[in-house]
Order: sequence, then structure tokens, then C-alpha cells
Amino acid sequence: MSKEIGHASFLRRIAIMVGAGHVPGLNAVIMGAAMAAGKLGWEMVGIRDGFDGLLHPDRYPDGGLLPLSPQLIENLDPNAAGLLGQAPRVDPFHVRRVNADEMVEEVDMSDQLLKKLQAEGIDALIAVVGGRGLSILYKLHRKGLNAVCVPRSIENDIAATSVSFGFNSALSFTIEMLDRVRQAAQSARKIGVVEVLGDQAGWLALQAGIAVCADAVLIPEIPSDLQAVAARLQDKVTARRPWGLVVVAEGATFVDGPKAETKPPSLKASLSPLATGDASDHVIRRSGQAAETVASRLQLAIAEETFPLVLGPWVRGGAPTAVDRQLALAYGAGAVRAIKAGNYGTMVAFVPPDVKFVPLADAINKVRTVPRDSEFIQVARSLGIFLGREL
Amino acid sequence: MNPATSTSALTGIVLNIQRYCSHDGPGIRTNVFLKGCSLRCKWCGNPESIAFKPELSYDPKKCTGKKACGVCLKAPFPEGAFYVVEGAEDDKVRVNWDLAGDCDEALASLCPTGALEMFGKRMTVDEVLAEVEKDESIYRSTKGGMTLSGGECLLQPDFSAALLKGAHERGFNTAIETACNVPWAYIEKVLPHVDTMLHDHKLTITERHKKWTGVGNERILANFKKAYETFPDIDFIARTPLIPGINADEEHVRAVLAFIRPHKNVIDYELLPYHRFGLGKYLSLGVVYELDDYKTPSADLVAHLQAIIDEAFGRTGK
Repeated sequence: MSKEIGHASFLRRIAIMVGAGHVPGLNAVIMGAAMAAGKLGWEMVGIRDGFDGLLHPDRYPDGGLLPLSPQLIENLDPNAAGLLGQAPRVDPFHVRRVNADEMVEEVDMSDQLLKKLQAEGIDALIAVVGGRGLSILYKLHRKGLNAVCVPRSIENDIAATSVSFGFNSALSFTIEMLDRVRQAAQSARKIGVVEVLGDQAGWLALQAGIAVCADAVLIPEIPSDLQAVAARLQDKVTARRPWGLVVVAEGATFVDGPKAETKPPSLKASLSPLATGDASDHVIRRSGQAAETVASRLQLAIAEETFPLVLGPWVRGGAPTAVDRQLALAYGAGAVRAIKAGNYGTMVAFVPPDVKFVPLADAINKVRTVPRDSEFIQVARSLGIFLGREL
Repeated sequence: MNPATSTSALTGIVLNIQRYCSHDGPGIRTNVFLKGCSLRCKWCGNPESIAFKPELSYDPKKCTGKKACGVCLKAPFPEGAFYVVEGAEDDKVRVNWDLAGDCDEALASLCPTGALEMFGKRMTVDEVLAEVEKDESIYRSTKGGMTLSGGECLLQPDFSAALLKGAHERGFNTAIETACNVPWAYIEKVLPHVDTMLHDHKLTITERHKKWTGVGNERILANFKKAYETFPDIDFIARTPLIPGINADEEHVRAVLAFIRPHKNVIDYELLPYHRFGLGKYLSLGVVYELDDYKTPSADLVAHLQAIIDEAFGRTGK
């Protein structure tokens, strides 16, 4: 595909944007894409702050699009914070704004986005997004956007790829922190219960738990029997080893279920439109709840003192590991290859040993969870790590 | 009962009609919740009331799963809007809210278990009033009536005015619950038909108001003041949703008291302690809850702040 606009020195003009939330390695993706595009003689620009640079250029005195010149890219620090910035939400179908009447509303600016891309002479977009971003890009692709996605996930839960960039950095940091918790537990003679990210997939908990030889790892894929966990800890925690370490994913579930939160008081119930309906029975987990639940319920069953800790979103920060830097560069360059080949509506995926392009439709609506026959499960069992219940 | 004089076919978007309420105006009342809000308070407990138009909701407890049903996994439902997770403990349907957001009532009605339903529907003034009339005898014995709430009921000024006028014509007490973040023209249409106005003083400092609700509070405060002065016969009751770390402090309560006490028709100031309840409604709508880690205010704090209010209103011994 070629274009006929005022960027005659370049064969094509493509853009890259980054979804919400920091993941280590974002700059490396940008570098990989820009270098690969430059090699083809294409111009690459970065959209600042998600889609904001394009949708709200008035907010940017230097322009909402950042030309990713070779000079800029050569001097870009792959360890630094993301070059393009980020927006708290990246959904052109529901853009929150304050209207002329000073009222907050959400408007669909997807058509405007596509028109602006066209007006800027941008004929393809690389989107560095996580799970939800993939759905939004899929929707944009169905509206005509030439999109290629790069998967990013701290939890490594995006389907159709063996690994998303960001996961390895989060895993490394989690292991480092778990080592410190273990030392603290050893010196305090307590049982540390550490909550790590993983709402639907337990990769981070499982792989980090294996690395530090935790006593137990509780993941969403295996509902845990906390009585059995307590029994196992009682076996392992002895006078010679008066400490323990339990790693729990934030989305871990329990066979006898967490206790529901208290019912609303009548005053608040009166003020809520659906307070008498079934919908009121659910609650949303707040971060730290998994660690609190496990620590407090284990405490009831064992003599040793438990203490909950939450690693949570800290692992999103920092510099990328060597693995993530390589992966991010490869994904960035891979996305340009996909565009060159006209493989739009795809996601770059690592399917060992190759980098491939999978249709977005195959990546959305799926969660890459830990299968019961996973090699990691076997390794954990071989090491004597209890996985919540007998398998 | 006075014969209904309104035959208006004027319509509005109603979220729910809740009978036997006792906290939103005098006596026993029927609360009519209208859809649509012009603020985005991060602590909002009623996310289903925010969008103006009816929207899809999903209750996984009612879903019987792919094997037993699976209706929403095929046409005419949008491709990719609903799915099941392979290898999960159950085969209940999951919702891709980005692809399912355009589902309408006709599609939702195809769900045989009621797991999919719409929050909100278009109703005429007469339809709403017919529902409100059912408790007419209770209103008479308790001096109660109808309260319009939301969302922001003032966002539908013509519909709200017609409902309140119709309620008045039937002899019912009328109240509205509002944040007043609307143009004065909207308020002016509605308030002539209101006996009691419950209004939120969420945050005192405008920059903080903008941070937590989406807009500053200058117009809101101007509307409050103008309402107090323009409609001296209305009973105004100020309210604050009390959230530790945001506004559950003496400074805010005293600032609100300083604002309202010069106006004698502001008859009370109520505190509504924040509670993380009903947040499953966020799950039902696929909306991320932004105020995850805030706690309910302690009973001691609420009592302390209430004592300040009681003192300001000259109430003792409470």
C-alpha cells in the first residue's frame, strides 16, 4: 500500500501507540519498530499518551505526534520510562470529556481517530497493548484500521503467544522480592504470605514460587483447600525450620470460598437503585485481599504467626530484563514485518522458535492460563511445592 | 385520590423504581431512579446509573453455561462479544464488554436465563406515575411521596418536571436527589414542582472536586445558592458521601456548614458513610472500579462529624 501525501522522502508513514499502564520494555518495542521501519525507508511517528496525541493535539505544544527519527531512536534508553507517555484509558469508543455544558460524558471518537490517522497520512498502526487493548484494536481493525498489535502483559495471560513482553521483568522482580520476604520470614520465624499479580492466570505466582522454592503456591487455576495448605505447612514448619513462605496469586480461589462482605446498611441500601437485587451480592476484590484471606485463615489453623504482604503493581515498574529487551525489540521489528506483508488485524506472537503473526480474533476472548499438565506444575510437585490441594 | 390530570406521553430513561424507601425525603416513599449522570465520582456506588442510554448487564450467577444454553455464543449476538474460557472450572459465559457494548434490549431478551438484561428502559410519565400511585395510601398515612434520584434526575428536566408535577397533582410529596451539575435552565424547570431537595456537597475545594468527580464545583455551588434564594419554600437537605481520605474530615464538614447555614431553608445536613457494597454492579457492567482501596469511615469519625453538624443546627443530646 502506498500513499500520496506530503512526506515524499518516505515510502510509507506508520505510527506506533502504547496502551495504558507501564510495562518494562516499552522503549525497546519502539526502538525495534522504528529501526525496522527506518531500514525499509518508512517514516515512523509515535502517538503520545495512547491515542490522546491524535485525538487531542491541542494538549501538546510540540504536537501530539512524535517523529521517531533515527537520531532520537539511537539515543533512546531502553531502560527509561516510556518515550510516548501513557493515557489512563485508551478506548476511542468511549472517550471521557467535559462537554460545553460542563458535564462529563463518554463519546465515541473512533471515526474521528480513523480520519485523523488518514489525514496524517498514517496508513498502518502498531499498537502495544494488553488484553483489553487487543479487543479495542480488533474493533478498530473491523472499522478499517490497518492494525498490528504487540502483546504486553505482566501476567503473561495473553493467548496465542507463549510469552508477552513485560512478564520476564515482572517475574525477575517478584523473585527478588520473594527472596527478601523469605529472609525476613526466616529471621522473624514467621510464615510470609505474599500476594502477587495474576487475576486469572497464575504464571507469575507459579514460576516465582518455583524459583524461590516456596512451601505453597496458590493460583486461580487450582481452587485451594486452605485446610490442606495448613496441614502441609504444619508438616514443613518445624523447630529446625520455623518459617514458611506461601505465594498466592491475587485471583486465587478457595474451595470453600471467601467470606462475602457485610450487607449494606439500610440507609445506603435505600439510596441505591438496585440495592435489593441480586447484583448487590457481589463484591470486587480489592488488592491485598487474597493475601489477607490466606494469612488470616491459615493463622486459625496453625501455631506459627503468618504475615500478609502484597507485591501487587510494584512489579510493573523498573527496567526490562535482558529477555524482555530482546523480546520487545523482536516484537517491534516483527510488527513492521507484519505491516510490510500486509498482515493487518494480527498480533505478533512468539511461538517457539518463531515470531509469528496470529489473527487478533484468535487472541481475544481467551486467557492463557496454567494447564493442569503444565511442565511448571510437574516441576513444582517434584520440588515438594504444595499447589493448594492434592492433584 | 385526585384524578390524574397528566396524560403526558413524554418519555425518559428510567433505571429502576424502588418502593418503600424511607431515607430520601419525608415519610415512606417511592424512589424513581433516572439514568444518566454528569459527574464521574470515583466512589460511585451506582455505576449502572451513569450512562444515559439503557445498557447491557450480565449476572454470571444466572448463566447456565455453554453446554446447557450457549445462546449468546452464536448469531444474532455480535461475534466475539461472548465467550467461554477453555479449561476454566465452569463453562459460564464471559463478556467481552468492548464488543458487547452495543447489544440492545432485543438481543438481551434472547437470553433465556435472564443473565443478560438491560439496565434502564424508556418509560412514559404516565407509566412511572402508575407505578408510584400503587402506594398512595402509604404516602397519605406517612406524609411520604415520590423521590427522583439517579444518576442525575435534572439531566432529564422535562421528564422530571412532568413526573413531579404529576405527583403533586396526585397529592404526593415530592423530592429530588441531585448534585446540580447542570445548567440553571434545567433546574429552573424542575424546582417549582419540588418540596424537598437533597443535594450533594461532595468536595469543597474545586481542584479536588475536579479530581474526584470530573468537574470543578463552581457552577454547582452557584446553583445551590441560587436555588436556596430562588425557591425559599423548598426544604433543602445537604448531603455528603463520606469517604475517608477524600472528604471525611472536619474541614469539609465545617466548610459545608459555613455555606449552608446562612440559608434558613437548608434544614439539615446528612452524612452518608461510604460503603464498598454493591460493587458487583461494576462487574455486571464490565466497568473498572476506580476507588479500590478506600475503607468505610469509622463509627467514631462519623459520630464526631455528626456532632459538629448537630451543634451547628442547634441540636443537642443526639
